Amino acid sequence: MSATPPEGGPRGPRVILEEPAPSTPRLDFGWEQAVVPVAAARPPGRWSGLGRVVAGAALLGLGLAALDAANFVADQFTRGPLQGWATLGVVVGGFGLLAAGAWTELRGLASIRAVDHARAAFARGELEAARAEALRWAGGIAEAAPLQPALREAGSVAELRALLEAGPLRALEARSAALGRAAAVQSFAVTAISPSPGLDVLVFTWRGVRLVRQVAALHGLRPGFAGTWALLRRTLADAAMVAATDVAVDAAARALLSNRLLEQFAGDAAAGAVAARRMLRLAKVAAEACRIVPPD
Amino acid sequence: MLPDPLGLIRDAADGAERLGRVLIGQPRIRLAVTGLTRAGKTVFLTSLLANLLAAGRGHRTLPALESAAGGRLRAVRPVPAGIEGLPRFDVSAHLAALAADPPAWPARTEDLSTLALTLELDRAGMLGGLLGRRLLTLELLDYPGEWLLDLPMLGQGYAAWSAAALARLRRGAAAEAVGAFLAFAGALPQEAPAEDSLIRRGHGLYRAALLACRDQLGYRFLQPGRVLNPGPRGETPVFWFFPLPHPVRGDLAALMARRHAAYVEAQRVEFFEPFFRRFDRQAVLVDVLGALHAGPAAFADTAEAIAAIAGALRYGGGWLDRLTGAGVARVAFVATKADHVPARQRDALAALLGHLVAAPQERVGTAGVATSVHTLASIRCTEDAVATLEGRPVAAVRGVLPGGRVAKVYPGEIPLRPPEPGFWEHGFFEMPEFQPPRLDPAGAAGVPHLGLDALLAALIGDVL
Repeated sequence: MSATPPEGGPRGPRVILEEPAPSTPRLDFGWEQAVVPVAAARPPGRWSGLGRVVAGAALLGLGLAALDAANFVADQFTRGPLQGWATLGVVVGGFGLLAAGAWTELRGLASIRAVDHARAAFARGELEAARAEALRWAGGIAEAAPLQPALREAGSVAELRALLEAGPLRALEARSAALGRAAAVQSFAVTAISPSPGLDVLVFTWRGVRLVRQVAALHGLRPGFAGTWALLRRTLADAAMVAATDVAVDAAARALLSNRLLEQFAGDAAAGAVAARRMLRLAKVAAEACRIVPPD
Repeated sequence: MLPDPLGLIRDAADGAERLGRVLIGQPRIRLAVTGLTRAGKTVFLTSLLANLLAAGRGHRTLPALESAAGGRLRAVRPVPAGIEGLPRFDVSAHLAALAADPPAWPARTEDLSTLALTLELDRAGMLGGLLGRRLLTLELLDYPGEWLLDLPMLGQGYAAWSAAALARLRRGAAAEAVGAFLAFAGALPQEAPAEDSLIRRGHGLYRAALLACRDQLGYRFLQPGRVLNPGPRGETPVFWFFPLPHPVRGDLAALMARRHAAYVEAQRVEFFEPFFRRFDRQAVLVDVLGALHAGPAAFADTAEAIAAIAGALRYGGGWLDRLTGAGVARVAFVATKADHVPARQRDALAALLGHLVAAPQERVGTAGVATSVHTLASIRCTEDAVATLEGRPVAAVRGVLPGGRVAKVYPGEIPLRPPEPGFWEHGFFEMPEFQPPRLDPAGAAGVPHLGLDALLAALIGDVL
């Protein structure tokens, strides 16, 4: 190929200056928007058919029960003040307990949301927001309370993160791992001696949920039912990855041993090992989900 | 020449350490970034570090590298400072300067600096989850490009070096400063005395000649490198030597030879042995476009410099190297500043670089090293545009100049192979320096680039 430019084309490089403008901004490739995965737009907040059915049933159940209870209290007052006051006491106590339960659930959910807010503040690098979240969190954790003055003085998000990671978070992770090991030993034992696979699943599920709640409590969260469910949902994706490994462990254990007796024993032991490993993993994942600092 | 026994022991220890690290899943990769002066090493390292750190935070800044890693890259963090005696490469300061208003490109590198990153990766395979994550340490070094040209001096005596240096200098005789030195050297008697003022004058003229070659003629193969860029300690008497037409007889020649030997030994001990004796991957950065626009002599000079450096580096392949586990696994030749040509001409740029580095590539290839050729813009400063020249539309690039004025640049046709003399009839052309694009000073989302991900995938994709 010759270096000669195409026939009739311009020879040699040139600089062509455009008309001067008062202030030309620098080129912007929208790099930050391009590389940051843009969150999908949330679908409009319409209730699904099933959602309306459940909401309607709840409204009917609670509303009619409240109206019925009010009428009943009024009726009781017509029979006599003693019956009336006694009935009112029972109704207020019952509905009070219901409301307290709901309030606890909401607070549990809110505490998990607070973890999300703290992580977002750390991820965005907003020092003041991250500091406020870290201080609020440290106030509720015995391990982190002595760190509050240092958190107030921290000059950067990296410093905040380092303070938290080197101190309380490391201690909490160690304690979560210890909880996981205890749960793993129990699961291994139960799986090895239990007569039916169905019981294994039941014990594993119960122990898993308890483990998640223990780890959450360690991190200053007091999740109710809804909070526990939210935490469990976060671990589901990870659990799916663990399952693939479990299949491989089981298959390898069976492939290595041809003796039927050994195979039987090894199969059970492998199942126990898998259950124990899942517990260890669950403890780790739950601790990661409860951390107020996002993973690096 | 007999191999250095201490060096062999160090190689063997290094090989054992490398093997141990691989076995425990914590390999370490030393990436040697070699480039002639102004090839863009500092900007390359800044972009590489910023984009890797952003990729570790989940941003898709390096898609080809992520694809090579099979989506298993989980985190990237700088290795905390230890007891190193070298300055740390200050990526955040470079980024802040590039993002500032007005922006500033990194100044000429005056000293060595290093930084290491830890890449945290999930293990591949069904059983990978059992063993935890792999930690890959990537070590990087920034240094003045001028010093790299001292590498070919390691195997030369003073007489051979003098002859080669003078021959190269004569090609630039058109420059006034070069002519002055050549006249001074030519007028020296065969047995010149080792007189201090004479030496200082000769050294001053030689340095002026080298500077003229570098700054006016675009030459790169200029030795000794520390005369052009003395480093943080400044100049010392060991630098005061210059080539002589009669380098054997007389006191002056003897003193020049002693200083030459001392200089080469100092560079070997302080710079090459610690940093260039053992490395695993190498990126050779070449400003092909700059050399092309500087004219035929500068173009040939660049090719010669790259070949000389490749000839002086150790790529393994010998039986001793196999025994001690030393050697380089992959080498990438990279044409930098690829954003100065429109997209459709970048393949031509890569082809031209391929011809330019054919000799070193063949030499490296015979040692069993995998090589590749890339085009790269560490920081993309332009966008593709169409300009009208002589009534015809041509592909050009458009960027913002330092004063804030917008310019389109038509870089000419990039030849696919080293051009014939007729190519340079249009005279020399100096590519304007564009402003970097808008950047986040904290580098949270990395830095816009062209081809950095493909380059990294080719260099370290196999160990991810």
